[in-house]
Amino acid sequence: MLLVARKNLFAERTRLAISVGGVALSVFLIGILLSLYRGWSQQVGGFVEDVPADLWVTSDGTTDFVAAGSILPDSLSGPLGHLPEVDVVSPLIVRPMESYRSGDKPTDTFDVQLVGYDPEIGLGGPLAIVEGKSPPGPGEVVVDIEMKNRHGVQIGDRLMRGSKSLIVVGYSSGGDFIYTQVAFATLDTTIDFLQLEPTTQRTFFVVTLDDPSQRDVLASRLALAAPGVQLVTGEDFARETRDRILSNILPILVVVLIVAFVVGLAIAGLTIYTATVEKSREYGILKAEGFTNPYLYRVVFEQSMVTGILGFLVGAGVTVLLAPFAQDAVPQFVVWVRWQDIAGIAGATLLMALVAAYIPVRRLSHIDPVTVFKG
Amino acid sequence: MEAGPPLILQLDGVSKIYRSGDFSITALDNVTLNIPGGEIAAIMGPSGSGKTTLLTIAGALLRPTHGHVHICGTDVTNMDEAGLAGIRRQKVGFVYQSFNLLEALTALENVRVVIQNGSRNGRGDAALRASELLEMFGLSHRIHALPKRMSDGEKQRVAIVRALAKDPELILADEPTANLDAKRGHEVMELLRQKALELHKAVVVVSHDDRIRQFAHRVLWLEDGRLRDHH
Repeated sequence: MLLVARKNLFAERTRLAISVGGVALSVFLIGILLSLYRGWSQQVGGFVEDVPADLWVTSDGTTDFVAAGSILPDSLSGPLGHLPEVDVVSPLIVRPMESYRSGDKPTDTFDVQLVGYDPEIGLGGPLAIVEGKSPPGPGEVVVDIEMKNRHGVQIGDRLMRGSKSLIVVGYSSGGDFIYTQVAFATLDTTIDFLQLEPTTQRTFFVVTLDDPSQRDVLASRLALAAPGVQLVTGEDFARETRDRILSNILPILVVVLIVAFVVGLAIAGLTIYTATVEKSREYGILKAEGFTNPYLYRVVFEQSMVTGILGFLVGAGVTVLLAPFAQDAVPQFVVWVRWQDIAGIAGATLLMALVAAYIPVRRLSHIDPVTVFKG
Repeated sequence: MEAGPPLILQLDGVSKIYRSGDFSITALDNVTLNIPGGEIAAIMGPSGSGKTTLLTIAGALLRPTHGHVHICGTDVTNMDEAGLAGIRRQKVGFVYQSFNLLEALTALENVRVVIQNGSRNGRGDAALRASELLEMFGLSHRIHALPKRMSDGEKQRVAIVRALAKDPELILADEPTANLDAKRGHEVMELLRQKALELHKAVVVVSHDDRIRQFAHRVLWLEDGRLRDHH
């Protein structure tokens, strides 16, 4: 680093702290928002992705798990099971609903994604049991552990919906969709709880194949055998589920990311600009002494770059240190810090530093060394 | 006829006219000046007489409207900015009225940065040379001091060291004693004279301080942009 750049930069500690702080704040905001997006993205698609199914069978037009608008007849189970490529077929009833704990006010509701499944098949049921009993029996429900963390649902509590209730007998994991969590009951319990009519309605069938490479063959066969029914792979279903939830917040996130970038840019740019203006006379002296414009540009660029690097290190450090504790304070604050994102933010910070130096550099080129002879 | 010492600075019929809209001001009017190595010339005159304009044209900071400027035999009149910066870097040292040291740099660093500019000297060599020069000027105890911790006399001595550090042929001093008391001013001018003679530099001092004349081989008077010998 050039002597003049280093000494000028570190001589003004307060200005440097403000400048580095501004960039660090920007980096922290960008880092935490990106990590939040990654965390949510991982979380909301996680359950669908982790169900060990090769295919999800839905009614035509249904693309994701949470909207769950699919309606299929239970009778489809037979023809599906007889297809030569199919190994296991498991019917699911999936319904989004609001519920509250018995003893709470009926207005203290929270969202639940109720999943009715066949415990004898198991496919589409709880991914892992954290505590309590599984599978649930008649009138019983196993809820995601996040329902305990966020809404205080305890084993033994009753989940209410109108005059109906389910008793919580266990906690599972891996079914958190941030704004809602899954709860598992048997098909009969679900039909009774939701008062489904006709009782033969199913939402999805999850299917495993003897040979997963036969998915396309099965899709063609099913299209002929059961019009109005479609097959979706687990990955596609997970992606669509993610899109359904995150596509609404993505534009807001992008705007906030841009704002954070501009805030960092503005603070770094303004502090470097004011430092350059204040040192105009000294830059004039250097010009008079024969220092060229490129040398002076380098002084400003180096100051800007070092400010950016220090701001990045502070901001990224705070992000990495605080992120693991964020969910303790706010359960919905599910974050996943990826090194690829940190690398991307490093690139954005360097861009910030480059742009922040642009206007000061333009000013440098107009400094007239003759002015140093005045006063 | 015996040839004299080579000319370091030649101003040949130099004029400088500042224009602003319909108005124009002639700051220098057909000035001719030749300064050989080893000569100290004092240019005196009242405020607004064009002394600083003359100095900045002589120092390759400002282009004349008419005439030619040669520094060490090179015509710099129509040089581009990079060329002029090169001439200033290699051939010209400035001493300013208000010292113009870089505030964040120590005495040593103020000198070192000028030595290092455009030279192949490493940092260590430049620091060693800067240190030797500062010692030569009696500043060994102030090497690591920042300008704000120095007296005005010390600052001007550091500024002279900086001007000499790159070993220029021409030293241009603008009111070098204006911010110093009589004793310090005398010391600084005596130092500048001694070193200029010792190192065979051409020196132009512009000032309206009459005490400067005792240090000069030649005194010139500038008034209304016109230069003449002054006795």
